[in-house]
Amino acid sequence: MKLERYLDILTKSIWVFHCNSGSCNGCDIEIVATITPRYDIERFGMKLVGTPRHADALLVTGPVTKYMTDRLRRIHAQMPDPKVVIAIGNCACSGDVFYKSYNLDGPVDNIIPVDVYVHGCPPRPEAIIEGAAKAVLKLEKMKESLKKAGAAK
Amino acid sequence: MAEGSNKTYKVPIGPVHVGLKEPITAWLDVDGERIKDATIRPGAIHRGIEFMARDRNPIQIIYLAERICGICSFAHIVAFVRAIEDAAKIEVPARAQYIRTIVLELERIHSHILWAGVACYTFGYDSAFHLGMILREKVMDVLEALTGNRVNYGTGTIGGVRRDITPTVEKVIREMIDLYRNEFSIFYDVVTQDPIAKARMRNVGVLSREDAVTHCALGPTARGSGLRVDLRWSSPYEAYCDMDIKPVVPQDHTGEVYGDVFDRFLVRVLEVYQSIEILEDALAGMPAGELMWEPKLPKLLNYLKQADGTGWSSIEAPRGDDTHAVRLTAGQENITWWKVRAPTYANAVSWPIMFRENDLADSPLIINSIDPCISCMERMVVTDRSSGAEQVVTKADLIERCRDKTRRMMGS
Amino acid sequence: MKPRCADYTDEIMSPEKVLSLLKRKFRKFSDTMELRDYRGGAGTDVGYQTLWVQVEKSKFLDLIDLLRELDFLHFHITSGDDIGEAVQLNYHFSLFRCAGRGKRLGVTVTVDVPKDDLVMPSLWQWIPGIEYSEREIREMFGVDFDGLPNKALIFLPEDWNEDIKPWRRDEAGPKPEDIRELS
Repeated sequence: MKLERYLDILTKSIWVFHCNSGSCNGCDIEIVATITPRYDIERFGMKLVGTPRHADALLVTGPVTKYMTDRLRRIHAQMPDPKVVIAIGNCACSGDVFYKSYNLDGPVDNIIPVDVYVHGCPPRPEAIIEGAAKAVLKLEKMKESLKKAGAAK
Repeated sequence: MAEGSNKTYKVPIGPVHVGLKEPITAWLDVDGERIKDATIRPGAIHRGIEFMARDRNPIQIIYLAERICGICSFAHIVAFVRAIEDAAKIEVPARAQYIRTIVLELERIHSHILWAGVACYTFGYDSAFHLGMILREKVMDVLEALTGNRVNYGTGTIGGVRRDITPTVEKVIREMIDLYRNEFSIFYDVVTQDPIAKARMRNVGVLSREDAVTHCALGPTARGSGLRVDLRWSSPYEAYCDMDIKPVVPQDHTGEVYGDVFDRFLVRVLEVYQSIEILEDALAGMPAGELMWEPKLPKLLNYLKQADGTGWSSIEAPRGDDTHAVRLTAGQENITWWKVRAPTYANAVSWPIMFRENDLADSPLIINSIDPCISCMERMVVTDRSSGAEQVVTKADLIERCRDKTRRMMGS
Repeated sequence: MKPRCADYTDEIMSPEKVLSLLKRKFRKFSDTMELRDYRGGAGTDVGYQTLWVQVEKSKFLDLIDLLRELDFLHFHITSGDDIGEAVQLNYHFSLFRCAGRGKRLGVTVTVDVPKDDLVMPSLWQWIPGIEYSEREIREMFGVDFDGLPNKALIFLPEDWNEDIKPWRRDEAGPKPEDIRELS
């Protein structure tokens, strides 16, 4: 895809909400590294926000413990449409080393629909940025289809 | 919410955390802006790791242990393999012990700088946060050069380590030491010399020496209260046996102990300097030799299958002492049981004491001060007990309150 | 029940002396006592030592009282296992934690709690830091602690069926259908 198309899509910056559903924090510190000066995702206008009601994208890390299952669903329900869900890290995507437990409901796509999977244990900040870029494309498609359906004016 | 009306309100924090570490739910009883009491409820990320481990052999568990916590992943590996080595009577080559020590100290540096930066972010000192995070990228580069990964290094194994320190890596480590010698003081000065930063941390979240003892506080949390506790000193392991390490306590540097957030901050930033010295000692004293007790995995697994016994190991992780205990039974390939006690598990018991008689606006700082997660307060619900009305306070609001207090102090 | 005032002592007793004291006072269990040395680095000196003791449940509090006289008993963790007729608990403590280089003595106290009487005395009144561990053992093994004020669930979710004790290996443990494979 051409650069112009990317720029055309980025008419509005996306805001991101992060939910740790039982992760080891490896992914979470890489998300923090992504917003700090070396990787600086904020130059694209992306930032972490404090409430799902302001967010366009949901970052989920961790294999989803039973304690967090319902809370994750509620967070997802609070986000306004169009919204994307990005599963960060192997355990959010597939469970990874966490199998055969009595307290896990995951992986994430078992609970809520996931749009972008970012693999890695933990994924590097560059991979997280790429995942966010893919989410932008998907958001744009959702926006178009919402417009067609007359839901968003 | 008028102060002094003797009516308290309950403020739940969590459990949804944007978290860096163990997410925990807390209920604060507030009278006006004062916190009267606190109740803690962990469990949001209880994955049942010890239960899963019963179906796995010790080599598989190394990679599970690494994923208990992504920040002190190597500390968990070393604690686990030391427990196995204790149970199975395995002796680790001296060079491997030195390499373990070096990675442990590199991990301590990245963890402490991360914490110090996040603490500054909490009370609205964003420039110091970003300064700290730029400095931290250097040690991440070194860890990547040494192990191939930024987080979860996969470097430790039973009876040794899997990566050697080559002359190239040694050069990178020495470059990092020089950089921190020259540049870390900038970060140290902008925070400790700043009157507002000091005012926000002084006398906040006080944990007295006596409470630190009875509540079994660990690591920088205990040292911030003036206790000389450090397992690298009181029960030296690995290469620390050859080094003279003194616990870093505030009374040696400022002459006084407050046991507050500032003291905990001071202990952590001073430990970065201590770790640099340990790294230099370890590089200088590193003996030549093998990296592993038994490089052939099937042979090692077969030996572990014959082993019978209980092992226990406590090591000094960045947040305090990390305890692992494990049981091996002869003839069983998998371990029988395994128990992990991460430092926050113990330090969280002290939270209610630190909260008492502090401002609600300081609660993010206090939660943060034992080094769990800043973003613990993802979303809060304030419940007015008398009317039953609920009002949602977001993490953003709470951080804003914390920052407002800084602005009031600055008189703007 | 306010916790007893406490601090660490500088007056240390050598590990060998602690061992012989325990052997004298608990002669019946002296076969189970063991002192382990740990070495590290390039040298051959002993870095630190740990002491391993197993006692009967009825003697557990006497042993703890004796250890508490030596120093404030720093608590690490309780580990345990379902060994069939009983639940075996291992209390991991430290003595002389603040006393000097290489002076810390780790003490592990093992005690079997028979399944027909799954109750242990709580150490909370002396060591408030033990609270989380006793609550964890209670929910994971079903061992009750006499004297523990807060017995709420700690790590398991609020809607957990409290009849299931995750770490038990008998019928009280989780059934195969309770365990998820994930991927």
